Amino acid sequence: MKKQTILALGITSIILIASTEPVMAYTLLSPRRRWSSTPVTVRVYNVGNSTISDGSGGVSATVSAIRVWGMISSSSTSSAAVRGSAPATIMLNTNGGLCTGGCLAATLTGYYVSQAGDDRIYDADVYTNTAHQFYSSGESGCSAEYDINGIMAHEVGHVIGIGHSSVAGATMYPSVSACNTANRTLASDDFAARDNLY
Amino acid sequence: MHRRSLSIVTLLLIALSVPVSASQFVDQPFDQVARESAYVVRGTVVNTWSAWDDAHEVIYTFATVRVHRYFGEATGPDTLVVREVGGVVEGYAMEAIGFPMVRQGEDVVLFLSRWDNGAEYRIHAFNQGKYLVRNRGGVEVLVSDPVTQGSDRLDRDRFDVRANGVDDAPGLTIDEFAAMVDDARAGGRVGHDLHRQ
Repeated sequence: MKKQTILALGITSIILIASTEPVMAYTLLSPRRRWSSTPVTVRVYNVGNSTISDGSGGVSATVSAIRVWGMISSSSTSSAAVRGSAPATIMLNTNGGLCTGGCLAATLTGYYVSQAGDDRIYDADVYTNTAHQFYSSGESGCSAEYDINGIMAHEVGHVIGIGHSSVAGATMYPSVSACNTANRTLASDDFAARDNLY
Repeated sequence: MHRRSLSIVTLLLIALSVPVSASQFVDQPFDQVARESAYVVRGTVVNTWSAWDDAHEVIYTFATVRVHRYFGEATGPDTLVVREVGGVVEGYAMEAIGFPMVRQGEDVVLFLSRWDNGAEYRIHAFNQGKYLVRNRGGVEVLVSDPVTQGSDRLDRDRFDVRANGVDDAPGLTIDEFAAMVDDARAGGRVGHDLHRQ
């Protein structure tokens, strides 16, 4: 085989490999941190969001939605979040005094700083800005509302230690728009971030 | 008018050039952020400290800001105390992912609103309310802060702004910024989605 043919085949192979491999652009929270064991327990406080009319204020939808990560043990709870204490708790009914204005939802996370670069997450709680309008998979139709399933799937990404992704279509992509349900489904980039940590 | 358009475009470039990092936020128009703020200040963060709140539920970082200039019509004291959620106390770190950070020694422009207790201020509209001041060839320009909570360590000792692309980002001069704040607080409409978190 001629050298030119071999070279052409080599270049073609590289191009094919490059074009078929998904572009990974996730980030992890810095410093890198993760929970000590899996599955990670996440509770959803059973007082739901008053703007969601699916019968549970989005509680049931959120319990199901966050399992998309495949490493979350979720259920509803009658215990509100206690900051600084596990388990991770999602609050749909309060902004926690911190998620106001343009904030839709916020994750407050706590960890012990180690010198070894292998920090352990000790607690993470999620708060929701009740000044905005939300809807869930349990409702039909949407009008200028934000999808609580996708919002909470994204926040639970933060809960387990993942930062934002530059891949449009990834659940951890930072931009969100009303009536968009794309974040309910994880992209390969999201799974790659998870698998990097656990 | 042409100059104002350029300023808006510059702000848009500032917004789009920084790495985005946030919990989940809805971008707010510049004029809204400017109008809602109690103060818009240029200053230096002279010191910071972190502490638990009285209920031992939240760690806050406090920052003393020496104010060099108030933008718009509102003026206040020479120093202000800014309080933001997040910080490190005795080895335990608390972060509100995507929320702004305050670091000792920073030269900043801040949009500030008052906490409920009235004694301290918080950065208004999260990272949309914070700019870093950089000197480029003798001209001071404002650039968005690319580092938010969760994207770097809370102790800023090893923070390197060059590594985060700040010095290559597009900037807005102080005078251009001041004119936009004046217009916004006077009721003018400066633009939309000028700063992305």
